[in-house]
Order: sequence, then C-alpha cells, then structure tokens
Amino acid sequence: MSRASVRDRSRAFALVAPLILFLALFFVWPLWTMVTASVVDDAVTKVLPRTAAAMADWDGSDLPPPAVHGALAEDLRTVQDQQALGEAVRRLNSAVSGFRTLLTRTVTAAREASDPATLDLSTIDPRWSEPRFWRAIKEAVPPYTDRNLLAALDLRRDAGGSIVAEEPGAAANRIIMLRTFVIAGSVTLACAAIGLPYAMLAAAASGVMRALLLLAVLLPLWTSLLVRTAAWFILLQQEGLINRALAALGLIDAPLPLIFNRLGVIIAMTHVLLPFMVLPIYSVLIAVPRNLMPAAASLGAGPIRAFWRVLLPLAMPGLMSGCLLVFMVAIGYYITPALVGGANDQMISSVIAFYALGTANWGMAGALGLILLAVTLLLYLVYGRLSRSPQLPGA
Amino acid sequence: MGAFIAFQDVTKKFGAVTVVDHLDLEIAKGEFLSLLGPSGSGKTTILMMLAGFERPSSGSILLADRPITHLPPHRRQMGVVFQNYALFPHMTVAENVAFPLEMQRVPRAEITRRVERALDMVRLSPLKDRKPSQLSGGQQQRVALTRALVFEPDVILMDEPLGALDKQLREHMQLEIRDLHRRLGLTIVFVTHDQSEALTMSDRIAVFNAGKVEQIDTPQAVYDRPRTRFVAEFIGETNLVEGKVVEAGAQQAVVRVGEAALNVSGEVSAGRDVSLSLRPERIRLGKEPAAANALPVTVADCIYHGDHMRLVLKSGPLELVARAERLAGDWAVGTEAVASFDPQDCTVLAS
Amino acid sequence: MLRALQIVFGSLVVAFLILPIIAILPLAFTSSVFLTYPIPSYSLRWFEELVTADVWRLSIINSLIVGGGATLLSTVLGTLAALGLRGNALPLAGLLRTLFLLPMVVPAVVLGVGMQIFLVRLGLASTYPGVIIAHAVLCVPFVVVSVSAALQGIDPAVEKAAMSLGAPPITVFRRVTLPLAVPGVVSGAVFAFATSLDEVVITLFVAGPNQRTLARQMFSSIRENISPTVAAAALLLIVGTLCLAALAALLRRREKPAVA
Ligand SMILES: Nc1ncnc2c1ncn2[C@@H]1O[C@H](COP(=O)(O)OP(=O)(O)O)[C@@H](O)[C@H]1O
Ligand SMILES: [Mg+2]
Repeated sequence: MSRASVRDRSRAFALVAPLILFLALFFVWPLWTMVTASVVDDAVTKVLPRTAAAMADWDGSDLPPPAVHGALAEDLRTVQDQQALGEAVRRLNSAVSGFRTLLTRTVTAAREASDPATLDLSTIDPRWSEPRFWRAIKEAVPPYTDRNLLAALDLRRDAGGSIVAEEPGAAANRIIMLRTFVIAGSVTLACAAIGLPYAMLAAAASGVMRALLLLAVLLPLWTSLLVRTAAWFILLQQEGLINRALAALGLIDAPLPLIFNRLGVIIAMTHVLLPFMVLPIYSVLIAVPRNLMPAAASLGAGPIRAFWRVLLPLAMPGLMSGCLLVFMVAIGYYITPALVGGANDQMISSVIAFYALGTANWGMAGALGLILLAVTLLLYLVYGRLSRSPQLPGA
Repeated sequence: MGAFIAFQDVTKKFGAVTVVDHLDLEIAKGEFLSLLGPSGSGKTTILMMLAGFERPSSGSILLADRPITHLPPHRRQMGVVFQNYALFPHMTVAENVAFPLEMQRVPRAEITRRVERALDMVRLSPLKDRKPSQLSGGQQQRVALTRALVFEPDVILMDEPLGALDKQLREHMQLEIRDLHRRLGLTIVFVTHDQSEALTMSDRIAVFNAGKVEQIDTPQAVYDRPRTRFVAEFIGETNLVEGKVVEAGAQQAVVRVGEAALNVSGEVSAGRDVSLSLRPERIRLGKEPAAANALPVTVADCIYHGDHMRLVLKSGPLELVARAERLAGDWAVGTEAVASFDPQDCTVLAS
Repeated sequence: MLRALQIVFGSLVVAFLILPIIAILPLAFTSSVFLTYPIPSYSLRWFEELVTADVWRLSIINSLIVGGGATLLSTVLGTLAALGLRGNALPLAGLLRTLFLLPMVVPAVVLGVGMQIFLVRLGLASTYPGVIIAHAVLCVPFVVVSVSAALQGIDPAVEKAAMSLGAPPITVFRRVTLPLAVPGVVSGAVFAFATSLDEVVITLFVAGPNQRTLARQMFSSIRENISPTVAAAALLLIVGTLCLAALAALLRRREKPAVA
C-alpha cells in the first residue's frame, strides 16, 4: 500500500487539481478581492509616489516642508494615466471638498512651471497654505486603510487618529446588523417552535403518514426559492388570498398589513427555512430506538416527564444543528427581505447589495461583506463540529 | 521442481500491527488447501497478497518458481471468489461471466460459446439475462464461482465463499466445489473460519492464529494429532489434561496426571510439565479396563443429545468429557465405571 | 385529546408548507391582469406572454444557456474531484472536501460582490462565460456531494474482482467504476441545473442585461410591476424542477439495488 501510494496520490491529486484551481481562481480569489477592496486605499499613492515619500518625515502639524511642495508638483507634472488621476482626485475630494478645483489648477501650473522642484504651491492657489489640505493628502497616502471596516461598525478616526463612534445621525450599520440578528433569531425561533414538534411527529409516525409528513418538507426544498418567495409575495398582498380568506371567515374587518413589513418577512423566511430545521432533528430522532418512550413510561415517567427527560435531550443535538443552520442561512438572506420586506426590514445583505450595485462603493460593500462572511464561517465551523459532517441537508 | 505456490518468509504489517508473521507456506499443483483460523487471524490478508491486492512488507511469493511479489493483480491469472461475491451489479449474469474472457481478447463467438457452456455446467443458463440483484444468494455464489473458473486460471482463491449461505445450501455448495476440484484438477486456496467446512473439503489445512501458522496437515492429522493447544481447542472438542512427564521414549511417554500415569504419544523430554489433548469420542466407557490407559471414574453428569450422550466423568481432581453412543449402555449419574483410551489418542501439545 | 392535537398541528404545518406553492399555480391561468382570486376566467395569455415577449423569451433562453454551461462545467470538475477524493489517497482530504462545499455556505451577496469586482477586472463581467463560471461555482458542491455518495456506494471488492479477472486499472475504471458512478453524476448534474435555474443573487451582480436569466427576470418583475406572467414562470419552474427532482429520485432508486 505504501509503495503504491505515491502513484495513487499523484493520480488523486491530478483529479482534484482542476477543481481546486477553479475554486481558487473563481471562488477564493473573488472573496479575497472583496476583502482587499475594503482595506486597500492606494488611489492616491499610485499617482503621488514622490509626495508620499517626501511626506514620511512630516508630523502632520502645521505645514509640510518645501521639499513636499516640489515632490507634489513633480508628481502632478509627470502623471500620465488620466483615469488614475481622476480616482485620486475623487478620493481626496471625498475627504476635503475643494480638492477637485485645487488639483486641476495645480496640475496645469505644474506642467507650465520651468522648475517644478522649487515651486511654492501656495502662489498657485492660496488653499495650499491651509494645513487641512495637506493633512488630507497625508491621510490618503498610506496604501491600506481601516476606514471602511471602522465605518461598517459605525466607527471612524477623529482628527487625532483615535477611534471614535460615528455621530448618531450617520450611524446606520449597527442598527442594520442588530436588525439582521433579530430577524434571523426570530426566524430561528419560529422554525424551532414549529420544526421540533413536527419532526417528533414525523419520527413517531410510520408508513404512509411518515412519508407524507416528510414529503411536505422535501417538496418546498426542491421548489425554487424564487417561486416560494413569489408565492408569499402574491399571498400576502392587501387583496391577497390570506386577507380574503380571513375576511371571508369574518375574522377581520379590514385587510391586515402583511406585506412590506417584518411579519411578512418572518413568515416567508420561516416557510423557506423550516426544512433545514426539521431534517436534522428528524434524522437524530429516527436513530432513537422506538421503544424508548414506552420504556421510560414503564419506569414510571409520565408522558410529560418522559418528553422532558428522554425525548428532548435526545433531540437536542438535532435541534442545535437545525438552529445553527437556520440562523446561518438566515443572516445572509437577500431575496426574501428584498421582495417581501419594507424599508425597515432590510438585512445586511441588502445594504451590501446597495453599496455594490447602487453606488459602486466597493470599500463599504467589501467591509460589510467581510463581517457577514466572518460570522457565517464561524457559525459553519461550530455547525461542522456539532454535526461532525460538513454537509448541509437537502444536498 | 519446487511447490506450485510458495510463500517465503512473508511478513505483512499495517502500520505497527503485524498481521502476517514470517509465513512459510507451500502449495502443490492441484491441491485444495484451506486457510482456517478465527476472524482477524490474517487469512484474508494472505489471500489478498496472493491475488496481488496487498504487497508483503517483506519476503516473497513464488508461482511456479517465478517471483510474483510485484506482479499487478490483473496479470496473475488467479480466479478470486470474494466473500460477498463482488458480482458486477450493472452487468447481467452472462456479461459477468464473459468479462474475464473479454479481458483475454477471446473472439466474440467463442466467448458466447464458452459462457453458455460454463453456465450450463452450473445450471444457470435460464438466468443468464438477469442482473445479480435478481438472484438468490446461492445463485449469486454460483455465478461468482463460474466467473472465476471460466477463464481457466491457474489457481482459484476463495475468501469465505459460503459464509453468507444458509446451512443446507452451504453443505450443498461444499460438495459442488469439492466435485469441481476433483473433476478439473484445480488448485484451490480456500479461506474459512468454519472448521467442519475445512475438514470436509480440504486436502490440507493450514491453521492460523494471530498471523502465525499453528499447523499445516491433512484434515485427519489436524484433528487426531493437533500439535498445539490452539489447534486442539479450535478444531472439534477436546479434553485438555495437565501433567508431568515421568518417562520419555521415541514418540511415546508416560505422563503423571494426579494419581494416574498415562501412556501418551508425542516427542517430549522427561520432567517437563505438558498439556495433553484427548478427544471425547476416543474415550471408551465400560466396567473393565479395555486399553493401555484405564481410569476409574464416576459419572457426574449425563446430557442427552439425541444421537449421542455427553458424559462428564470425574476421576479424583480430573474431569473428562466423553461422548457415548446411545446404545453403549445406561450411564446414570453416580455410576462407577472405567474410562479406557489408547496412547495414540492422547496427544502431547507443544506449549 | 393528545392525538387530536397532533393531527391538527400536523395538518396545519403541512398546509403551511405546501399550500402557498399550490395556491399561486392557478393564477398562471387567469385572464385578468391582477393576481387575485377569484379568477374571473381561464386563459393561456400569460404563457403566451412568456414565449412572445422579448424579455421573457430571452430570459428563458439565457437560463438554458447559462444552466447548461454551468451544469457541464461543474459536473466535469466536480466528478473528477469526487473521483480524486475517493479512497483517501490525498492528505488533507477532509479540508478539500470542506473547501468544495463552501460555495454552498458563503452568503450569495458576499460571493456576488467578490465575483463582480473580480470579473470586472478580468473583463468577464456581463458576459456569458462570466455568468456561467459564477453559476458553476455554486453548482460544484452539489455535484461533489452526489458523485461522492455514488462512489461510496461501490463495493471495492467489485473493482478488485475485475482486476483479478484480468482487467488493467484503466479498464476497471471504464467498465466498472464509471458505469456504477453514472447515476450519481446524473443526479449531481440535475441538482446543478436546478441550482443554476433558481439562482438570482449572483446573477444580479455579474450578469448584464443580455444575460438576464428567467429567475433574474422574475425577481425584477416582482419588484417592479408584478403580473401573472410571474405566476406562469413560477409554474414553469416548478414543473421543471419537479421533473428534474423526479428524474434524480428515479436514478437514485435504480442505483440502490445495484450497489446492494
Ligand atoms: N487494510 C488494512 N489496514 C489495517 N489493518 C488491516 C487491513 N486489513 C486487515 N487489517 C487487520 O489485519 C488483521 C487481519 O485481517 P484479515 O486478514 O482480514 O483477517 P481474517 O480474514 O482472518 O479475518 C485484522 O486485525 C484487521 O483489522
Ligand atoms: Mg477475512
């Protein structure tokens, strides 16, 4: 075995190598790209390398030494890539407004200057004698930044560089994260409350009954997620089937607001995620010997005691896996809240999508994405430990 | 001219565990050799080394005087019948049997002819288009056997081929395999943990314990003259008697057991503590001494077994089990009697 | 009393699970432009819309192109990898298995953001190859799981038997291993196709208007102005995925006695 294993091993490696390569290229690398997008801030360094070097010794108080003026003029004079320059200008302008006109004017002057190395920039534009413009450049010069990551947690650096909380008016991310956890938690609770007794029922049933109960769980799992969300979108409308039915039964006078609110999101997500709760519990319970409950009863435990002392502890591992799984999937949900929820029910994924698709702010999208990714992977790690199998049900 | 198959000082280790320990084994052409031993004693591993699926950690294996230790399995020309038959589930019976012939690039028409003949021989022709999953255990067994035989290999290796069958079918197949062996002059290496199967089928039996050969002999010799305590206990039932050698001669000795002195067979030196093996059915019970060894005994228990009775006999501290035919008399508990047995039935075991 | 409670509870949950899916199906046949009951009269106009309106027709074609491409790519890569993972010849096989399952775990939006940035840099954003690759990443876990399960069901003795009967390794693979793994490969491909068919989020990030898939089109049509065409498309998807699931189940059933 050991002698053949070198050949076996190289053949096995040759077989998995294409997929490793594929995933490294199109799965790991994109995720890495996203992570770096949140911390890389090299738009300014790329365009102003000499300035960056010259500024290294300046402590940021008052005005920089004349050498920095010369370096900046040299950098601006020799810049070739207009697109890169545009990026740098945009970056600086977002820190201190006014940079756009200031730099445009300075570039023109630097190009025309006979001896840029000795140029005093404040003669071109008086703003160059204000320290805040120079400070903005110094802050933008380091190629990496924690700005986005801090902003994702509603933090920022103040003028002195220490980390402080964002003003309440501009702080939205913590609220969204809290909301994400609240919604995912509510869905998990709802799934557990329905899924645990349902799984027990299915495990206790036999024959056709059990098959029926399981089919009811598997059928939605096989049905397109989009179709299920569309179904709830249609059913939960003001004039939808549910309101109509409740009115017809005389239970309500006016239609209940079911859609574009929290209730609708939780109903729809519970429906979508319920199978992920039922299946792990069920698979734990069917492994329990059938005569255990009668055995407990024969030992004098009443049905309630037998449930608490025997069945529930046995179902516990399944319940834990199910809860972790549902919570893990729920915090990353996008489609269902996007379609069924209102403005106040959008979860972290929606915010990421907004930054990425709406404003092309990769830095913020990446920073929030990194947080969501980290939390998800952490939950998955715990799930893998708990269930001793990395596989998800339904696959 | 050496043996047809030879294991020369073969050792097999899995990690730190030695599964086969310095094995020397020779198998003659046309011989039916059984490897007998409890589960985990290394029988399958030996067979797998012979078939080429495992490589010895050291030592070499010869086939017709050529070393085959490093020959890959598909070039060894050995028909293997696996424990669970290992039929190809996606092929019909006929396709299964045709497979080895296709591998030898036998022409199509001849394959068809030979497959039909082979299936006829084991009365499976009517089932030739079925898939293995549509066959009974016995039928699957016969297909596996036919598939291993059809390409006329030099050797047939069988790993507990009858283990999954019920008793009646197993006995039927034992006869069938023995018959094939005789008719076709096959060389068969047969793994089993069932001692009666080994005794009824084999030319020779190799008894294994924990990776070591305990004894290689004909069935009679293994049963009548077990060399070790393990063999005596593993095959059949026996009385083990402890004693001290007081007198030693060529192939015979006198052993003191408690008060009595027993004449025994075996090569030992005087003064040693030894174990003796005495088969229950070799004890004759009567009123008078009737052999070189005769012990006065009391019947302590009598158990009815239908065709025979088992008697527990006490002679001082010594307790013996004897087997008596029903007609041999009425041995009520408490009866005084004499147990007689011949020296050649009382074997000294290597300790 | 307890029994009655169980029956009521069980029926309620089954209704909750199944009814929403069933309830919208008749709406695909409404003649009205509103998705409400009672249905005034039945017509096939929304199915007509589905095949005649450019956006819908193109989205169906796109779904087939992207789904086909992603299925092919993920099935080939996943099957090879499952074969390589078999028999534990590799060190760190457990880690690799986890890597291959990760696309199923990482939130779609996160992967979407990464994919978008990355594919823009490669110049593959808003192209068919880009979308197919992105979908294939998501499909890979299903193929690996399904093929691995099929391979695990093969008795190693069957392959040894083939060897002992004179088959060299490559023939063993071609005549024994591969035919026995085929049901797993097919059901992996079915899962992959169904996954691609249903995929919205990644498509949102990497596809341009020309690669709009059916699911993507349904998503924006629900968001912007929902019409019974969505119900018709939903019916199409349900029937499609159920057929695929039935096919997969059928193959699994056939594969079971074969490896017993
Ligand atoms: N591939 C292997 N790796 C590690 N240990 C093995 C392997 N194959 C067999 N063994 C061990 O070797 C011993 C002998 O096994 P085997 O030859 O199958 O015995 P038998 O066929 O007599 O029951 C057993 O203890 C078994 O656990
Ligand atoms: Mg064995």
